[in-house]
Amino acid sequence: MNRIFGKFAFGPAIVALVLLGAGSLLSWFLISPLLEAMSQTSYDVPRMVLFYSTLPRLATALLAGAALSLAGALLQQVLRNPLADPTTLGISAGANLALVVTSLFFPGLLGLGRDMVALAGSTVVACIVMSLGAQRGFSPFSLVLSGLVISLWCGALSAILTLLNERYLVSLFIWGAGSLAQQSWVIPLSLLWKTAVIAVICALVMRPLSLLDLGEGTASALGVRLTRLRFIVVGGAVALAAVVTSAVGVIGFIGLVAPTIARLSGARRPQQLLLWSPLIGAGLLLIADTAIQLIAGKLGEFLPTGAVTAIFGSPLLLLLLPRLKVRHRALQLKERARSWTSARTGVLAIALVGLFVALAIGVFLGRGVDGSWGFPHGALFGEIVPMRLPKVFAALSSGAMLAVAGVILQRITGNEMASPELLGVSAGATFGVAVAVFIIVPGLFGQMAFAAIGALLVLAMILLSAMRTGLAPERVLLAGISLSAMVDAIVGVLSSTGDPRAVLLMRWMSGSTYGVDARTAMTVTTAAVILTAAAFLARRWLDILPLGPSQAAAIGVPLRKSRFALFGLAGLMSAAATLSVGPLTFIGLMGPHLAREAGLVRALPQMVGAAAIGGALMVFADFIGRTIVWPYQIPAGLVSAIVGAPFLMMMLRRKG
Amino acid sequence: MAAAAVAGNAPAFAQSAPRIVSLDYGLVSTLLSLGIVPLAVSDLADWDKWVVEPAMPQSVVNLGSSWEVNFELLVALKPDIILTTPYLDELLPKLKQVAKVVRLEIYAPDIGPILPAAIAATRKLAAAIDREAEAEGFLQRADAFFTECRTRLAAKSLPSVALINFMDARHARIYARPGLYHNVLERIGVRNAWTEESNYWGFQTIAIEDLSRVADPDARLIAFEPVPADVLPKIKQSPLWQSLPFARPGHLSILPPALMFGMVNEALRFGRLLTDLLDPKE
Repeated sequence: MNRIFGKFAFGPAIVALVLLGAGSLLSWFLISPLLEAMSQTSYDVPRMVLFYSTLPRLATALLAGAALSLAGALLQQVLRNPLADPTTLGISAGANLALVVTSLFFPGLLGLGRDMVALAGSTVVACIVMSLGAQRGFSPFSLVLSGLVISLWCGALSAILTLLNERYLVSLFIWGAGSLAQQSWVIPLSLLWKTAVIAVICALVMRPLSLLDLGEGTASALGVRLTRLRFIVVGGAVALAAVVTSAVGVIGFIGLVAPTIARLSGARRPQQLLLWSPLIGAGLLLIADTAIQLIAGKLGEFLPTGAVTAIFGSPLLLLLLPRLKVRHRALQLKERARSWTSARTGVLAIALVGLFVALAIGVFLGRGVDGSWGFPHGALFGEIVPMRLPKVFAALSSGAMLAVAGVILQRITGNEMASPELLGVSAGATFGVAVAVFIIVPGLFGQMAFAAIGALLVLAMILLSAMRTGLAPERVLLAGISLSAMVDAIVGVLSSTGDPRAVLLMRWMSGSTYGVDARTAMTVTTAAVILTAAAFLARRWLDILPLGPSQAAAIGVPLRKSRFALFGLAGLMSAAATLSVGPLTFIGLMGPHLAREAGLVRALPQMVGAAAIGGALMVFADFIGRTIVWPYQIPAGLVSAIVGAPFLMMMLRRKG
Repeated sequence: MAAAAVAGNAPAFAQSAPRIVSLDYGLVSTLLSLGIVPLAVSDLADWDKWVVEPAMPQSVVNLGSSWEVNFELLVALKPDIILTTPYLDELLPKLKQVAKVVRLEIYAPDIGPILPAAIAATRKLAAAIDREAEAEGFLQRADAFFTECRTRLAAKSLPSVALINFMDARHARIYARPGLYHNVLERIGVRNAWTEESNYWGFQTIAIEDLSRVADPDARLIAFEPVPADVLPKIKQSPLWQSLPFARPGHLSILPPALMFGMVNEALRFGRLLTDLLDPKE
C-alpha cells in the first residue's frame, strides 16, 4: 500500500471527506421528506421516487463527478497541464455535438449505441486538439485555447441546430446542458462498470505515469514509452468523458475543479492526485446537484446541473492563469519570408474586386414571392433595395472590423489561432442581450445598449486581469475564452428553463443581420471607418511587435502602452461587429490568414486585404443566409461559421 | 367534427375581404373562423404539425419563420393589415412601415387567464377588420360547444387530468394555470391534476419523476403528439414510471397535436379532443 500511494496525504482526504459529508447532508434534505411521506401513505409512490429517482440520481452524480475528475486528473498528469479537463479540451462538447447531429440527421445510428456515437465525437475533437498541441510541445495555453474554441464551436453549433429545428429540439438543448434526472438504475449502473473498467486500465499505467513528473527525458531514459503512454491515458480520459456525456450530457468543468482542489489541499504525487481527485469530484458534483435540486424545488424552475457547474467552474480557469508558466517561444508566429513586392498590388486589386462583386450580388440579387431568383424591378426596387442595404453594409463593416481585429490580435500575440471571437468580447455582448431579454425586455435599441455594455465590461475585465499579469498575450486570450465559456454556461441555464424567449437569444447568438435597420447599419459603418483608420495608423507597432518583446523594446516601442491600445482597439471592433453578426463568425480568423497566404505580409497591406476579404466573406455569407432556404433565413454568422469550421480544421491539420 | 363546424368558413366574404397577413397561429385560425382567408402566415410549413385545424387554404403564402418574418416577401405581398402579438414587439416599428398593424395581447405577463384574454382579443380583432357580427356568432358557437362538453362530462365521474408534451424520455412540459388548457379544463368542468402555477405561457418544464407530485392517485395523464420516438419504450423500462399511477392500463392517453399557445379555435380543438377521450362516442 505504502509503495503505491506513498505517504498518506491527509489534506485531500479531509477535503474529500468534508465534501462527501456535505453532499450527504444535502442529500438527506432531499431524502427525508420522501421517507416521511413513505411512512404516512399506503400509496407507494414516494418509495418508488426514492428508490428509482432520488437514489439513482445521487449515485449518478457521484459517478459522473468521479469519472470526469479522473479524466481531468489523467489529462492534467499526462499533458503536464493544470488546465486540462474534458471541458477545456473540448472533448465533452465534441461528444455532445456528435449526439445532436446523429439524433437529428441519422437517428438510426443511435441504435448502435449512444456511447459509440459520443466516443466518435469526443475522439475526433481529442485528435484535433492533441495534434495541434503536439505541434506546440503540448504548451498548456495553446492546447486549452484550441480545446475551448472547439468546445464553444460545438456548443454553438448544437444550439444553432436547435434554433433551426426550434420546437422539436428543446429536449436536446436541455440534455446538452447536462441534466442528472433519473428514473431508473440503468444509467448509474452502466456508468459504474464503464468507469471501473477504464479506471483499472489507467491504474496499470500508474507507474510510468508518475515517472513523467521527473521530466520527459528522464522518464524515457527509465524505459517509459511516451507515445504509447500518452495514447492509453488520453484515450482513457476521452472514453470517460464520452460515457458520461452520452449518459447525462455535458457537465462542465468538474474535471478541472476537482484535481485543482486535490492539489491545493496537498496531493503532490500523481498517485495521490489520481486517487483523491475522483473522490473530491464525486463530492463536488453531489453537492452541486443536490443543492440545485433543493433550489430548483423552491423556484419551481428546471435548472440543468451541467450548465450550473460550468458557471461556477469556469472562473477557476481565470484564477489558475497566474500559476501557469508562460512559454512564449512555443507560440511564435512563423514569419514567412516571401517576395511580395510585385504580388501585393495584384492581390489587393483582386480582393477589392471580389468585395464589389459580393456587394452587388448582396444588394441586387434576391428571390420573388414565388421563390424564383431575380432582381427586384419596378416599384418594388425602391422598397426592397433600401431593406437590403443596411444588412449588406452591417455585414461588410462587421466582417472588415473582425478581420482587422484578427490581424491585430494575431500580430501582438504571435498566435496564428488568435481571433476576436476568442477575446470573449462577443460573449459579453451575448450576455448583455440575455440580461435584456430575460429581465428587462427594453426593445431592440435597449438590447443593443445592453449588448454594448456587456461587451465593454468583458473588455474592461480582460484588460484589468491582463494588466495584473503584465499583458502576456496568451493569458489575455485564455482569459477571454474562459469568459466566453462562462457566459455560454449562463446563457445555457437561462435558455433551458424552456422560456420561449430563449429562442430570441439563440437567434442573437447565431449572428443574424435580421434586426439591422438603417440607423444600426450607419452606427456600425461609422464605427468601422473610425476604428479601422485607427488600426491603420498603428501599423508601425504592428510591424514591430511580432519580432518579440525584447526587440520591440529595443527599437523603442512602448510595450505596455502599445499592447493596451491595440487590445482596446481590437476589443471595440469585436464588440461593434458582434452586435450585428454574432459571436461565432470565424471571420477574424479567416480574413487575416487568407490575406497573409496571398502574400500580404506587412501590417498595412495585410489589414487592407483582410478587411476586404473579411467584408466580402461576410456579405456573401449574409446573402446565402437570406436566400438559400427562402422564405426562411439562416443567420449570416452561422453561414460563416459553417465555412469557418472546416477552415479552422484545415489550418490545424496543415500544421501536422 | 363539432369543432370544425363551429370554426366555419365563409368564402363568400373573400371578394371584399381586406388583404391580411398574420404572424401568429392563434390569430390566423381566428381569422379563418371570421370568414377571412389570410394572404400569408408565418411558419406555415409547421401548421399541420402543431395546429392541424382549421385546414389552411392552398392560396396562403408562407412568410418564413415567425421569428424572422421575411420582410422582402411581406413588402412584395402588399398587405392591408398585419396581425401581430407582444411576442414580436421588436418588429413593430418595421411592420408599421409596411402596413397597418393590429397588435393583440393574448400571452403577456400579468394578463391572467388566457381563454378570456383570447375571447377579448377575438372581439378586438373583429372590430379592427369589421367582422363583429361574425365574431359574436363564432364566440357564441364556441361557448355553446364548451357548455355541450360540460354537460356531456357532467354525467360522468371524471378523473383529474395532467396534460403534457414529452420532450425526451426524462423530461416533459406540463400545462398549468394560467394557461389556455387549464382555462378550458375549468370551463368544461375537468380538474387539472397539476395544481402548481406556471409561467404566463401556461407550462412548466419538469423531469418525469416530478409527475409523482400529482397528488390524485386516480389522475389520468394525457400526452400530446408529437411524442419523440424513443420516449414510450424507454419510460416503460423505468420502475419509477411503472409505479406511477399513470403507468396503469388506461391511465395514459396520447392525443393528436393541439396548439398549446393558441386562441379560441385551439381551445375548442383541445376541448373536443379531451371530451371525446373522456366520453367516447361510438
